[in-house]
Amino acid sequence: MRTAALCIALISSLVCAQTLDPAKLSQPPTDTWPTYNGDYSGRRFSPLKDIRLDNIRELSLAWMYRVKTGPQRGVSNVQIKSTPLEVNGVLYLTIPDHVWAVDAHSGTELWHYEWKDQGGHLIGNRGVGMYGDWLYFLAPDGWLISLNAADGAERWRVHVADAKLQYFTTMAPLVIRDHVVIGVGGDAMDVPGFLESRDPKTGALQWRWNTEPQAGEPGAETWPDAAAREHGGGMTWLPGTYDAELNLLYWGTGNPNPVFAGQSRKGANLWTCSIVALNPDNGKLAWYFQASPHDTHDWDDVETPVLFDGMVDGRPRKVMAQAARNGFLFLLDRTNGKNILSVPYSGADWADGLDVNGQPIPNPKKAPQRDGTLVNIPEQGGTNWYPPSFDPDTGMFYVNAQKGFSLFYLIDESANPEGYGGSGLTLWWQSALEAIDYRTGKICWSHTFPGTGRSESGVLSTAGGLLFSGDQHGNLIAFNAKTGALVWHFHLTAPVSNGPMTVELGGTQYLIVGAGDTLYAFAVRR
Amino acid sequence: MGGRTIALHLLCAVSVFAQASQTPRSTPLDERLQRGREFLGLGAPPDAGAAAAGQKIFSANCAFCHGATANGGEGPNLVRSSLVLHDEKGELIGPVIQNGRPDKGMPAFSNFTSEQLHDLAEFLHQRVYEAVNRWGYQVGNIVTGSTSAGQSFFSQHCTSCHSPSGDLAHVGSKYQATDLQALFLFPRTLLPVPVHVSIRTPEGHEIDGTLVSQDDFTIVIKDKLGRMFSWQTEKIQFETHDPLAGHLDLLPRYTDADMHNVLAYLVTLK
Repeated sequence: MRTAALCIALISSLVCAQTLDPAKLSQPPTDTWPTYNGDYSGRRFSPLKDIRLDNIRELSLAWMYRVKTGPQRGVSNVQIKSTPLEVNGVLYLTIPDHVWAVDAHSGTELWHYEWKDQGGHLIGNRGVGMYGDWLYFLAPDGWLISLNAADGAERWRVHVADAKLQYFTTMAPLVIRDHVVIGVGGDAMDVPGFLESRDPKTGALQWRWNTEPQAGEPGAETWPDAAAREHGGGMTWLPGTYDAELNLLYWGTGNPNPVFAGQSRKGANLWTCSIVALNPDNGKLAWYFQASPHDTHDWDDVETPVLFDGMVDGRPRKVMAQAARNGFLFLLDRTNGKNILSVPYSGADWADGLDVNGQPIPNPKKAPQRDGTLVNIPEQGGTNWYPPSFDPDTGMFYVNAQKGFSLFYLIDESANPEGYGGSGLTLWWQSALEAIDYRTGKICWSHTFPGTGRSESGVLSTAGGLLFSGDQHGNLIAFNAKTGALVWHFHLTAPVSNGPMTVELGGTQYLIVGAGDTLYAFAVRR
Repeated sequence: MGGRTIALHLLCAVSVFAQASQTPRSTPLDERLQRGREFLGLGAPPDAGAAAAGQKIFSANCAFCHGATANGGEGPNLVRSSLVLHDEKGELIGPVIQNGRPDKGMPAFSNFTSEQLHDLAEFLHQRVYEAVNRWGYQVGNIVTGSTSAGQSFFSQHCTSCHSPSGDLAHVGSKYQATDLQALFLFPRTLLPVPVHVSIRTPEGHEIDGTLVSQDDFTIVIKDKLGRMFSWQTEKIQFETHDPLAGHLDLLPRYTDADMHNVLAYLVTLK
């Protein structure tokens, strides 16, 4: 405690090192939250239980920290979509173009780094990655920037994606040993997706994995020609997960391009809308599972591939679960990518059964049509980027699910469509927090948030028997993770806009949540 | 779902279509394009006059290889060209046209004036803009169904609340087909349609009104005099009546053919 206080006091004088102990990266998060998801598994489960079912009513506001940038270009309100990292008592949070270090005990700003807006999309930023004393931040216009964690000073910048080609960069870099893994976004102009590993010391390229196979490689046969492949999309815009024992990096890829108009890219379009397992040392593909062969609905499959050890048919298995944007829950054997279960958790009338590999078969009649087709899932899909959670104590997978109906239109009917080539419109929309039995896909409990609009809150589960998420009306809500009963709530100034996280500092467990332009910390005070 | 609900359906149906004529539902194209341009980080919009002039030059001189819409033929697709996407106002495009690319079989067009080069560049930027800025996309002709089949569907499923000569008279001329499709499927897609609420307080008071907001903890209503009331939901009894319940019941039951038929029928209600 004394050390921590001293450490905080010294930050301003730049003496205290902020070093992240690499061992923390492979442990469940307690006093440190060192990656976007808290650990490599993507479970967003905290073993902390200082805040628990029997004292949750005493949970109260500890501090608030508001970012004061004002509105940003092209987006109406600032939204903290980043999950802050917490290392040695300091939180690192971001919005597009901005990074802050904030004292986790008090919410006091320690430093602020600003990148001048030069392009790209300011749709969101998921946070920073950390290696030793250094942070990694992606500016919206394709620059990877390394900062000193102690004072926010820029160490170097490298250009990783071209905003003039409509790439943009929003993800939180994922650090694995001496690899800084970064992905890209951008589906406005038919560019190919990729994932890169960069040297944490210099930013130099270590390897690059391309979403589309090169001519003659396996998977190339799922595209009609080179032009389709070279402009096939498949962005990599959310952080993946990692199994150190298998030394496999798991990553979800985005939708193919042109987005809604699939006529120039007949075929499955590998490896778009897929979960891929890569060797983090060289970027080589170990296996893939394609969630949406030949997607035409803009349903990126980038949602977190969540890793845990499960029991399947009475046998312990290394599994991965993903609540995909296309409305399916997928359970895979993560050693080899073999499908165990594919079950819809939202509407899925776009699919016409499953193929032998457990991959949904798209129904061509539900692909966008000139006069519209009615689909029983909202336009944005069954969920989106907001992180889900897996609780090993309940065995349940939790996701903010979207239910509804939408119309999909094909607009560019030419042989060589461009960009989006169509559009979608949600007619009716309802959000529900769902607890799913990963072994069967059965909904154990579901809580529909009353009213219109959609919740875009992430989910956190804890060993205190609690589940934290938010509704679309601005309530941060604690649920009994087992039963779904609402046990506590607090009305914020905006709906929860990130994945809640929790850490223990000096014997106090803090629950930390971003909502709009404000970061909130809650604790049980003694 | 009793007589009361149906009465509410009617009431609301009237108000839905009454509001519609007064409420501008879709943002004008210029504003949408501007919003898209800001979000996408695009520069100034192309000069439409120059682009139109450029298109004529392009058709006569370039379309033969690059396609009429510049997205490729024997020659490369220029809409996805990295050089075009990096060009601001002809500074990169101009020299390529003037000098050609002899190594790739493109002849030099050294006779173009700087104004013609500018127009050509603006035409290419216009093409890129049309592809990238999806805020400007326009849905095509969606009236493809059978009017008689639509009328028959309407008679079976809609006439308990709606009448083609009453609340729906002239909807075919009031609305664009794209709006009409969204409106009949689920009116709240484009219009605010209030939900009716009946509250019974612990003291036994009954208050009727329309829903202002509702979450898991609080309900706010407005009564017919415009007064707002708020309660913790656990402290009261309340019932909500959504006048669009019938629309919600139908949403999972439409085939795409039903949907297209109903639209084909509604557009005839001029």
